[in-house]
Amino acid sequence: MLLFFLFTCLSFILFLKSLPLNSLPLWASEMTLLSLWSHREFSAFCISSLMNSFYRSFIPRTCSKMSIKKINLSSRVDNVEIGEKSVLDLPELVLECILEKLPPAELFNMAGVCSSLRNRCVSDHLWERHMRQKWGRVIGPAAYRQWKWYIATRRDIGNLKQGKQSGLARLLIAVWPLSWTNSKLDNSEKQRIPLPTDSIMSWYLALETGKFCFPAQVYNRENGHVGFMLSCYDAELSYDSQTDTFQARYPPHGRRAGAIESNVTWDRLRAQPVDAPPHDLHISDCLNDLQPGDHIEIQWRRNEEFPYGWWYGAVGHLESCDGNANYCRCHNSDTVMLEFRQYAPGSRWRHTAINRRNHREEGNEADGFYGGIRKLKTEREISMWKSLWPTEVLE
Amino acid sequence: MSSSPPPSSAAASPSCPKKMIALRSSDGETFEIEEAAALQSKTLENMIDEDCAGTPIPLPNVTGKILAKVVEFCSKHAEPGVDDESLRAWDAEFVNVEQATVFDYILAANFLEIPTLLNLTCNVVADMIRGKTPDEIRKFFNIKSIFSPEEEEEVRRENHWAFE
Repeated sequence: MLLFFLFTCLSFILFLKSLPLNSLPLWASEMTLLSLWSHREFSAFCISSLMNSFYRSFIPRTCSKMSIKKINLSSRVDNVEIGEKSVLDLPELVLECILEKLPPAELFNMAGVCSSLRNRCVSDHLWERHMRQKWGRVIGPAAYRQWKWYIATRRDIGNLKQGKQSGLARLLIAVWPLSWTNSKLDNSEKQRIPLPTDSIMSWYLALETGKFCFPAQVYNRENGHVGFMLSCYDAELSYDSQTDTFQARYPPHGRRAGAIESNVTWDRLRAQPVDAPPHDLHISDCLNDLQPGDHIEIQWRRNEEFPYGWWYGAVGHLESCDGNANYCRCHNSDTVMLEFRQYAPGSRWRHTAINRRNHREEGNEADGFYGGIRKLKTEREISMWKSLWPTEVLE
Repeated sequence: MSSSPPPSSAAASPSCPKKMIALRSSDGETFEIEEAAALQSKTLENMIDEDCAGTPIPLPNVTGKILAKVVEFCSKHAEPGVDDESLRAWDAEFVNVEQATVFDYILAANFLEIPTLLNLTCNVVADMIRGKTPDEIRKFFNIKSIFSPEEEEEVRRENHWAFE
């Protein structure tokens, strides 16, 4: 209980400090979350398991596969003159079948038609499918947590303003002077932004309209800046439905100011492959498996002030090995040679060696620090990196 | 024999007399349908398996007018050697009817458990909804909207988050 109090206080301070909103675009004031939940390995391609563990279980139904039950015509309250058939007269499963065929904009419109249609059209299982189809690849657990936080904080602010003070709000008022919290809130409340509900439909709409920014990673950040080729960095993203692209906001690095990049296309995004903040060192679990030819990603940062980026590389042969498959014993050696073939052979970035027995983080101020390693297992991830290969060799 | 041969083999041997199933609509009209076509309907398939197909099968939920069209649909879809494109064109023409008739087809397809017809007609209704605002949807389907005050507030709130 005490831990919960401290945690919510800390996060609420961070949120209040990020106001007032008028001086910044609304989305730019979203706070970066401190992820205090326990971390789990999460693959961006397992979005369906995320959905199942957080939401009600969803049994996919398609018209052609389902066994259709015969249901008697049910009477509807908000209906037409007697004798005329209406879409509301249709059996439940048939109506479901029709709603499942609707694209998101139409499903949203149907929710505003009448009471009985509304109940069906806002239900999570219909919107789950749209979320998964459009957003599944770029939304991960971190984004989901940020959404939950977004709703919770907005609800508490709304309650504070209306005098419906939750336990949290009363606690805060006791700790900080009310005038200070009120002055911070007034600017936002002037706009009277309605609160989002805690539903998948709400989440989908918040993402679509760009009102909700979510954390994800961007390949080859800043329009393929040569200093970041074949790397993937964390950013806050907001969607622009007009152009079907994103605006990415990269956190500041040390003395380097935060950067903003516009028109980031879908193919340059992914959800975080490891559910951890970008400053956290990843503990490699694949070191014993690494052998020449494996594709990997490794964390790298300039120094402790900077967040890690994930950089693509491959496991190469040791210098003593001539690469002949019959005689290669590199996989038995304690030393693993990592190659970054996007760099020219003489370049200082071309190779680095790590010790598979005790590697955690190695490096220095000159060459930066090499951190945790992920072995790439899916063809999809590998071909993604290959598709981003620079046209010219880097130095 | 009570087990029905697969449709393809029945069509492959035209010299064998095709088994006909008799159906009776709610208003007493009788229709005959080839067994191969009847198997498109899971309901009829179950009845044929249970050897109930001796006397005309009564279908109290389907009128003669609609049953005639459903028989036509099933027969067309059981025909061998029809390419996908011309079948699709035929389907498009089949559902090019009034809204009320489309709903009748849906109810019949649901009752008789004909997945192809149900899928087709549901797509038609989904297409009717496409591109319409809530007001236009209400007018088109003749729905009177009765929202409670709380629901009205929710709709207003959601429209703030709506698609631009």
